[in-house]
Amino acid sequence: MKFLTKINRQYFLTYSILLVFVSVIGYFLLRLIIIYEVKEDILEKEYAIIQEIRNNNNLPNIYPIIKTKKINENEMRSASYKKIFFYNEIEQEQEAYLEYTNTLKINNSFYCIKLRHSLLESNDLIMAISLSLLLLLVLALIVSFVITKQMNKTVWNVFEVNLKKIENFSFNKSFELELTETDIDEFNTLNKTLLELTKKLKSDYKSLKEFTENASHEIQTPLTIISLTLDEVLQQDLSESVFKQVISTQKAIKRLSNLNERLLLLTKIENMQYPVDEQININDVIDEQVKEFTALIKHKNIDVSFIISGTFKVKINYILAEILFNNLISNAIKHNIDNGKLNIIMTDEKISICNTGKNNSLTNSSIFHRFTKENSQSYGLGLSIVKQICDTHKLDIKYIKDKLHCFTIIRIK
Amino acid sequence: MKVLIVEDEIELLIRLSNYLTKENYVCELAANYKTAKEKIMVYEYDVVLLDITLPDGSGIDLLRIIRKNNINAGVIIISAKSSLDDKIKGLDLGADDYMTKPFQLPELNSRIKSILRRHRFDGNNLVEFNEIIIDIDKKEVKISGEEIFFTKKEYDMLLFFMINKYRMITKEIIAEHLWNDNIDLSDNYDFIYTHLNNIRQKIKAKEGNDYIKTIYGMGYKLTDK
Repeated sequence: MKFLTKINRQYFLTYSILLVFVSVIGYFLLRLIIIYEVKEDILEKEYAIIQEIRNNNNLPNIYPIIKTKKINENEMRSASYKKIFFYNEIEQEQEAYLEYTNTLKINNSFYCIKLRHSLLESNDLIMAISLSLLLLLVLALIVSFVITKQMNKTVWNVFEVNLKKIENFSFNKSFELELTETDIDEFNTLNKTLLELTKKLKSDYKSLKEFTENASHEIQTPLTIISLTLDEVLQQDLSESVFKQVISTQKAIKRLSNLNERLLLLTKIENMQYPVDEQININDVIDEQVKEFTALIKHKNIDVSFIISGTFKVKINYILAEILFNNLISNAIKHNIDNGKLNIIMTDEKISICNTGKNNSLTNSSIFHRFTKENSQSYGLGLSIVKQICDTHKLDIKYIKDKLHCFTIIRIK
Repeated sequence: MKVLIVEDEIELLIRLSNYLTKENYVCELAANYKTAKEKIMVYEYDVVLLDITLPDGSGIDLLRIIRKNNINAGVIIISAKSSLDDKIKGLDLGADDYMTKPFQLPELNSRIKSILRRHRFDGNNLVEFNEIIIDIDKKEVKISGEEIFFTKKEYDMLLFFMINKYRMITKEIIAEHLWNDNIDLSDNYDFIYTHLNNIRQKIKAKEGNDYIKTIYGMGYKLTDK
């Protein structure tokens, strides 16, 4: 969910709940005030009636709102209010009244005063006020919602722009991260922090890259010394067992050095240190690579067949194209069986390299990971180099095991 | 033949000079840029082995000096960096060859020989071992005067043995020399035996001696001793 959507939704929800509360509370408050007013009105009228009785000894009676009568002393009650209903003949409906009853002693006589006040108009008033209040609140809510939304958009606009920039930023690319300035302090602080952070990260990344490269290079020199020394040892008259030990040490050194070289290659591909050449005709590259392996193909008596229906061309560094297909073809031969098959299918859109091999399928998800290997002799880096080259050149590689083990490279559009 | 070895790693410097001295080269050593520059300016060398990263300078700069002053020496760059840029730069600046560490001595010898031949320092283009004579220019092999046809790989292999005569060479080194490390086949070097067998058969057919001895099934040596 987007930030603004979230904010707006929260805002809307809170305001709706608030609106309901305010309306309910408002309604009751209004009612309370109006009832109070009504009572005050009644008391004022009572005072006027008392004056009338006291001065003129006149008992006013207006049906149904004023009723006064003389009573005996034993009928004296304290003042009380109650709600009653009367049938209004004009309006032809039941009407609610607030009835006030009081007994008083005026000029040594006892009187009962009943005053009634219609609640109908008060109720109508309450409803009218409440409704208009509600209407106003809803209107205010909608207006403020729209305004906030619009305001948020302008305020967050720069943030969104910067977010896009950060999204597109990559440590591999040479350009620096540039963020748009705003007049909002928090955003500027964020920008500043981000810029410092990326700068630091970039320099760390660079030194890490350099470290990997330098470390790999530094390892090669002692390896050379060991290897040359062992070669000197091998020139002496050695017993078979010592000879074999030296050879196996030498092989281990060779592996170490190859491993080192491959890791370096991977790092370089990742860092895009190979400049892209013009369109390379992959068919030619494959032809060339298959020729390199002639000796081994003959040795294993592998039947190589080309199925050509087009020319696959890619913008790639030539050396990388060689490494890519050298790895795939060498795998197809290495993991092949004697008298096996190697089918190379070339079209305009894809290249498939299929070979016979052991029956079990390779586990599809992990084969392209580093150090996933079939046996201890392999480095487990060949396919991850292949994958890395594909990834950096808009190519997709898939592995399928049908009758043959097939690696297919497709151009990503 | 005079060789200048420029390398800051003393241990490696000694190994190289020991080996090359055994192969009848006259070696001079320089462990830093300053010494190397002085030697290059004063003496004449047939081949300079040049390490790129030196404590007080770059081998690339030494290469520039050599070419700028028209010093007629073959230059082989020895670098820990297999980086393509360095390689292209080195070769563009007039290096004759580029070797990446770790390298093998027979391979180094083969490359030095090839440079010497190209620069005609040797004065001839024949490599001889008893009755076997290889004419490098014509890519011809003769046994007691009779020509034998060898395939490209067989020819390369035989030449490699002839240049590194009396020296034990492992299968790995041969594979690396013939296939340029392009071929990653781990322990599966059996097919080298196929090529070697062909060479032996062809030499025997012309009644030549089989000088290539197998050592414990893991290495080979061209020897008449």
